[in-house]
Amino acid sequence: MEEQSFLGFMANNLADFWGYTGFAHATSEHLIMILIGLFFLFLAIKKDFEPLLLVPIGFGILIGNIPFPTDAGLEIGIYEEGSVLNIFYQGVKSGWYPPLVFLGIGAMTDFSALISNPKLMLVGAAAQFGIFGAYMVALALDFEPAQAASIAIIGGADGPTAIFLTSKLAPNLLGAIAVSAYSYMALVPVIQPPIMRLLTTKKERLIRMKPARAVSQTEKIMFPIIGLLLTCFLVPSALPLLGMLFFGNLLKESGVTRRLAETARGPLTDAIIILLGVTVGASTQASEFLTTSTVFIFFLGFCAFCIATASGVLFVKFFNLFLRKGNKINPLIGNAGVSAVPMSARISQNLGLEYDPTNYLLMHAMGPNVAGVIGSAAAAGVLLGFLV
Amino acid sequence: MKKIGILIITLIAACVNISAQGTKSVVINEVLVNNKANFQDDYGQHHAWIELFNTSFATVDVRKCYLTCDKRVLDKSLSAPERAAMMYPIPKGDVLTQMPPRQHLLFWADAYPKRGNFHLNFELDSIGPNWIALYDANAITLIDSVTVPANLPVDCSYALKKDGIKAEGWQIVGNAPNTFVTPSTNNVTLDTNEKIDGFKQKDPHGFGMTIMAMLIVFSGLCILYVAFKFVSTIGMKIAQRNAMRHHGIEDEAEAREKNVGTESAEIYAAISMALHEYQTDVHDVENTVLTINKVKRNYSPWSSKIYNLRNMPK
Repeated sequence: MEEQSFLGFMANNLADFWGYTGFAHATSEHLIMILIGLFFLFLAIKKDFEPLLLVPIGFGILIGNIPFPTDAGLEIGIYEEGSVLNIFYQGVKSGWYPPLVFLGIGAMTDFSALISNPKLMLVGAAAQFGIFGAYMVALALDFEPAQAASIAIIGGADGPTAIFLTSKLAPNLLGAIAVSAYSYMALVPVIQPPIMRLLTTKKERLIRMKPARAVSQTEKIMFPIIGLLLTCFLVPSALPLLGMLFFGNLLKESGVTRRLAETARGPLTDAIIILLGVTVGASTQASEFLTTSTVFIFFLGFCAFCIATASGVLFVKFFNLFLRKGNKINPLIGNAGVSAVPMSARISQNLGLEYDPTNYLLMHAMGPNVAGVIGSAAAAGVLLGFLV
Repeated sequence: MKKIGILIITLIAACVNISAQGTKSVVINEVLVNNKANFQDDYGQHHAWIELFNTSFATVDVRKCYLTCDKRVLDKSLSAPERAAMMYPIPKGDVLTQMPPRQHLLFWADAYPKRGNFHLNFELDSIGPNWIALYDANAITLIDSVTVPANLPVDCSYALKKDGIKAEGWQIVGNAPNTFVTPSTNNVTLDTNEKIDGFKQKDPHGFGMTIMAMLIVFSGLCILYVAFKFVSTIGMKIAQRNAMRHHGIEDEAEAREKNVGTESAEIYAAISMALHEYQTDVHDVENTVLTINKVKRNYSPWSSKIYNLRNMPK
């Protein structure tokens, strides 16, 4: 061994240490991603855009883009087998976080609005056209059918569904699709109102809907059971999502499993959202994320959202042609067919109040909103059935 | 007691389904009876082999199942131990008996069971027909069987045309161009996804997918709509009947006139809100202000310490 002075030994070790620091491996791509992460945090904290999602995702982006020597076998990166982050990431990769989120959604959602006015289910179905419209645009942009389907599902405005489908069809696009889906969900208040204003007349915006009738406990209990049996017999590939959604709802409505329902909609959902958000954010490593396909994915996601909103609103207008005067639907609830629960319903409410301060549309909009959750899960199941 | 009985029956019913998803999904996938220069075993020797395939998407353990080529086991008068004595029991304690989803397991029919767990205690007839069967761990339930035709060409195997799909039929492979003997691997190499290729070819713009998928989504939600229209009609009738009974009204026309049983949910929501407010807001709200400023108090004998506090006895 070569003779080495103490200072030389120290200097060598410090140089080695420098080689392990993030500064030694930082690239401009890392910095861009860190800026994106900070922007997400800014949107969430300062602008209050979906903070429950954007804070974990934004911070996850920071975690995932801390540079480190990937060839040193430190087992810290999200894509390194055995690392803690990789263990968390398995829930995304294997697709078991989304059904658990759906369990929580089911346990916190009141389907009364939908049960009392079942025709609103069709509005939820119409909004799914956003998914398939974006699918056609994605094919035109030379994406493979499986990739196009994964990108298009962003139009369902349903983060867990997008993650679930992408993990099965195009796992390499998972980070970009998940971030895109959640970003647009956060931007629902910005994207939807102009489209809604554009496609409706003042007279239509003032339509007052018939108040919802009171729904009995028995009907509420029957809904998840009948819903599961009917939808999953038709689209069994949506079973993990719809099964958990309806199961969560039965826990809520049965009245005898209050503790389970509270856990499902509270601590369990919170824990899963934390893990899901952070790992989705961390999976957007610069090398995987900063590509031209990510730009296309964001563009297509935007198209999907716009088409979904427009098709929901236009469908209501079309539907109104066949409804009697007292039974007309306010087209401002058509946007709620995308399943961003309850945000898009809140948009309907706010816009409705803007034109008539006494016209409360929230509960009416919750009908298509929850139908949109069912519809987007069914659409994901259809895509999965066709393309796997 | 009755509830426990129902629970046990339900569990038994569930267990019946579970067993259907286990070893039942293993099939005999390929057999080679006359091995001269084909696949070698771990001793470097050529013997007949039998390939099993797990058709399911779950790991299946075939330990304690039985393989046999002895047709006498079909005699239903034999007891389970008598049948087991005529078959090769796949040993337990070897992790390799766990077949991963859609994977294969190869057994050597060389009559050298001491050479390892995957060496059977029988040989196959290289000239005549061979009946090969896989039995469940109870030695009674036949999981799968195949009769390999006589006079198979040397180094040619008898294989399912598509892995695990018996409806597609069997074929002799290795004797014609583009047919291959494939021990421990797929009979058909999967290098493309037929469905995706079909969509790429027939539906490059996605119209077909859009129409089909939207039809399915609409049908699903339409079925739900019809179902709940029906349920809500019944629900409304029941609610109206209960309300009529409560109000002491017997005539439906009168009930309709007085809007009995058709109250909107908004009324109940308002009542619930009011009750909630009442129950959670039981304390008076004190009219107090929290401040760090010095508060000036006007003197009053009612608040004077002299009158409030008891003087210490002297």
